[in-house]
Amino acid sequence: MIDSNIIDRLRRIAGNENVLAAREDLLAYSYDATNTWKHAPDVVVLPVNVAQVSEILRLASENRVPVTPRGGGTNVSGGSVPIKGGIVLCTTRLDRIIEINRANLHAVVEPGVVLQDFNTALARQGLFFPPDPQSFAGCTMGGVVAENSGGPSCLKYGVTRQYVLGLEVVLADGTVVKLGGLTPKNRTGYELAMLFTGSEGTLGVISRIILRLLPAPKASRTIVAAFDDVATAGETVSSIIAGSVLPSKVEFVDNWTFEKFRGLLPDETLDSSQVILLIQVDGLPETVEAETQLVEATCQQNTPWIKVAVDSTEAERYWQARRAHFSDISSRAHTIVNEDVSVPRDKIAEFIRLSQESARRHDVPISFAGHVGDGNFHPVVLTDNRDREHYQRALMCVDEIIETALSLGGVLSGEHGIGLEKQRFLKKALDPAAINIMKKIKDVLDPLHILNPGKIWEEDSKIPLNPFRVNPSG
Amino acid sequence: MKSNTDFQQIERFKEDLDRCTKCGFCMASCPVYREERTEGSVARGKIMLVRALLDGEITADEMAEQLDRCTLCLACTENCPAGTRVPSVVAAARADKVRLKGLSFPYRLVYRWLLPRRRMFGYTLRLASWFQGIFLPRTEGTIRHLSFFLSALGKGRHIPQIAPRFLRQTVPEVNKPPAGVAVKYTVGYFTGCMTDFVFPELGEKIVSFLNRNGVAVVVPRGQGCCGAPVFLGAGDFATGRRMADANVKAFKELDYIITDCATCASAMKDYVRFLADTDERKRDYAAYAGRIKDITEFLVDVLKLPPSAYRVAPEYRGKTVTWHEPCHLGRYLGVREQPRQILKSIPDIKYVEMPDAARCCGMAGTFSINFYELSKKIADKKVASIAATGAGIVVTGCPGCELQLIDGTRRHNMPQKVMHIMELFE
Ligand SMILES: Cc1cc2nc3c(=O)[nH]c(=O)nc-3n(C[C@H](O)[C@H](O)[C@H](O)COP(=O)(O)OP(=O)(O)OC[C@H]3O[C@@H](n4cnc5c(N)ncnc54)[C@H](O)[C@@H]3O)c2cc1C
Ligand code: SF4
Ligand code: SF4
Repeated sequence: MIDSNIIDRLRRIAGNENVLAAREDLLAYSYDATNTWKHAPDVVVLPVNVAQVSEILRLASENRVPVTPRGGGTNVSGGSVPIKGGIVLCTTRLDRIIEINRANLHAVVEPGVVLQDFNTALARQGLFFPPDPQSFAGCTMGGVVAENSGGPSCLKYGVTRQYVLGLEVVLADGTVVKLGGLTPKNRTGYELAMLFTGSEGTLGVISRIILRLLPAPKASRTIVAAFDDVATAGETVSSIIAGSVLPSKVEFVDNWTFEKFRGLLPDETLDSSQVILLIQVDGLPETVEAETQLVEATCQQNTPWIKVAVDSTEAERYWQARRAHFSDISSRAHTIVNEDVSVPRDKIAEFIRLSQESARRHDVPISFAGHVGDGNFHPVVLTDNRDREHYQRALMCVDEIIETALSLGGVLSGEHGIGLEKQRFLKKALDPAAINIMKKIKDVLDPLHILNPGKIWEEDSKIPLNPFRVNPSG
Repeated sequence: MKSNTDFQQIERFKEDLDRCTKCGFCMASCPVYREERTEGSVARGKIMLVRALLDGEITADEMAEQLDRCTLCLACTENCPAGTRVPSVVAAARADKVRLKGLSFPYRLVYRWLLPRRRMFGYTLRLASWFQGIFLPRTEGTIRHLSFFLSALGKGRHIPQIAPRFLRQTVPEVNKPPAGVAVKYTVGYFTGCMTDFVFPELGEKIVSFLNRNGVAVVVPRGQGCCGAPVFLGAGDFATGRRMADANVKAFKELDYIITDCATCASAMKDYVRFLADTDERKRDYAAYAGRIKDITEFLVDVLKLPPSAYRVAPEYRGKTVTWHEPCHLGRYLGVREQPRQILKSIPDIKYVEMPDAARCCGMAGTFSINFYELSKKIADKKVASIAATGAGIVVTGCPGCELQLIDGTRRHNMPQKVMHIMELFE
């Protein structure tokens, strides 16, 4: 519990209306989109300008109070859960789109802008910010940068990192630093803006973001295909790309979550298939037509069931069903362990086969969905964390899946970050020397370790990190 | 864990409560979250608060205010991949709180005593309107600043005057089509408080419009308030049930129950969801719900009137008109196309669709009384959409929205005329 004096001072800094300390308010900031992590802060502050952010951090440093930055709280890694209490610094009231520059193809935004609102504003000017985490209706630009998010479109367009031109960041001691700039080319010193991109709120609070934009593609087409087995679907994707078509999105769901496609695909197809692929090509209308035909022809070699959406309304229905995956799979069990590994594309089928074997061995249900185009997968193990024994088996299975991904040359997290959820694997996934460098960087930028403490690396700390820890009253 | 008997109503909607997976898809569309930007204000936060209540982590009192900050607009549900019906959970939690803690003072008086007594309510309003006339300055036209009893609604809000004669005083119980027009249907007209007391001309227009088109209209005297502010707004299910029973009885013999108020229509359709505590009520409420039709739905789907039947009143001919879709009409009743179809089909006006036509206007009855500042901010987004259309007239299908849009446009000194869609016609 922090001193009430600190809460008073926060009120003076940010104004009464921007400080929340009632129990019900704290409770609302105790969770993210995972169902394993929960811990309430002592106070929530919603600054409305960067000067306030700076003062809040200075106050926290002086008093060694933990500060957990938070945007929309849609992450799935425990990242925004204030596991050590203290202050939640929520950026949702820093929500101005400061500039959209069509001539220079850049935008300047505050961190609390919701991605969907940003996209709407860009679309009005025929512009496009490709990274599309599927949580776009709730996630904020600060969260997108802090998690270096990606989504289906990243197959063709790359992840957030590729679009960050510059950042303004407030360091733990309150110093405001400007990094990078407005131009796409900038070779002036170390790439410090990249250091904060994907830093999960542990190095500084991102208070302003300069992003590179693209002209919006003139046309797009969505192709749906159903397959009898995973391996064939994987081969199909490889053949499409080998045929010189780089789709903007290639997504995959298995039959655990076909329910959301009922009414969109014929029942016979859903009942007899294992996997659905959703493929989108985009660009100039002529290119899109030609590429659609190529994709269709390639799919036809491997499956009889293919459909090209006639218009964007039909296409959006398929994408909506894909987006519902998280919700659908979450509703199938009390607890889900949603992994986020990435493997090289040519290892996809093998990865899925090995993971399925592992699930069978541990006798736990497993489902797969993901951005198969870039090898980023969400194997989901369904369990119940109230049933210790089942949960243990689920965790053992997940351990094996991650080992499998790493042994195939993959990585631990494709997009969700480490947070709390994946820290027990970090040592396996990273070179010890790399962890060492990261810790040194942390010491330089946040010597008192007040920023998002408890995240990324497992600490030898006194507070045990326990997924069952619930402490709503702080 | 608190004993389940404390949370009977929430338990009934447990499935919705459990359905939420915390994905956050509801954030961009929640009108309250868009203004407040706090987790407690969004659908996900409300679900988590109610879960915490059941887990004994917070008390009903602690939860109450956040739950009141909800317009029950259903936008979250529309965007929820899990189909979580958040408004049901919110209404149920309000109801359990009322059962545990009782209603606070002004509501106790108004909801338990006044609203269920239709005539008494009318007299009280009349009294209030005299005071209004004596003590308060008139504003332009028939719009006045209202205080006193309506100060709850008021707080400086622009509110239309209470009508000098209520609809029930000007329209007979049975209204037959004029001589020479064959009777195609006989329907009941549920007038709702607003049309009865504030906009009786609208009611008169609707009756004569229907009569002219071969529909006999019965305005049962036994009808009362739909109960929305009582059971949905304040969570008083017991009083709500009394009001529901009275309405069901009043319309017993009629094939259709026509409304001009989307909120009344959807609240009455929701009797069965919230208030049916016995098998008999379940049956009666469900049968009642099946007969309710919004006026535009009736005209388009049942009467199937041709465009020529919609004769635009001379003063509105040639005007540009836009449509605000009430939450209760679009998302609750699924009536989206019918009013647009009417508006698009009439040659005498120019119809423009407003951006985000279906976004909540922020009225939501009790909500706008409790949180007028917040309600105004939500309305400001709506007003900006209206301005963007360049239309001279905004029509809608709910007198509640009408009040809010009148207030919003006046506050911004905008010239638009705000009215019910049926007022466009002769
Ligand atoms: C259904 C669903 C689908 C998803 N799909 C994807 C997907 O396709 N791709 C993907 O990459 N992710 C996905 N995610 C994960 C998540 O939504 C993204 O990581 C998102 O970018 C997080 O944004 P947020 O604003 O919610 O951040 P939060 O959850 O609030 O925070 C995330 C992390 O960023 C830090 N942070 C937030 N704001 C700042 C700031 N201003 N300065 C410094 N640090 C900050 C926090 O401390 C925390 O560690 C999904 C999540 C859900 C629930
Ligand atoms: S969209 Fe639905 S499931 Fe997702 S957080 Fe909101 S209410 Fe819960
Ligand atoms: S009903 Fe409307 S106001 Fe209430 S939580 Fe849902 S979206 Fe928000």
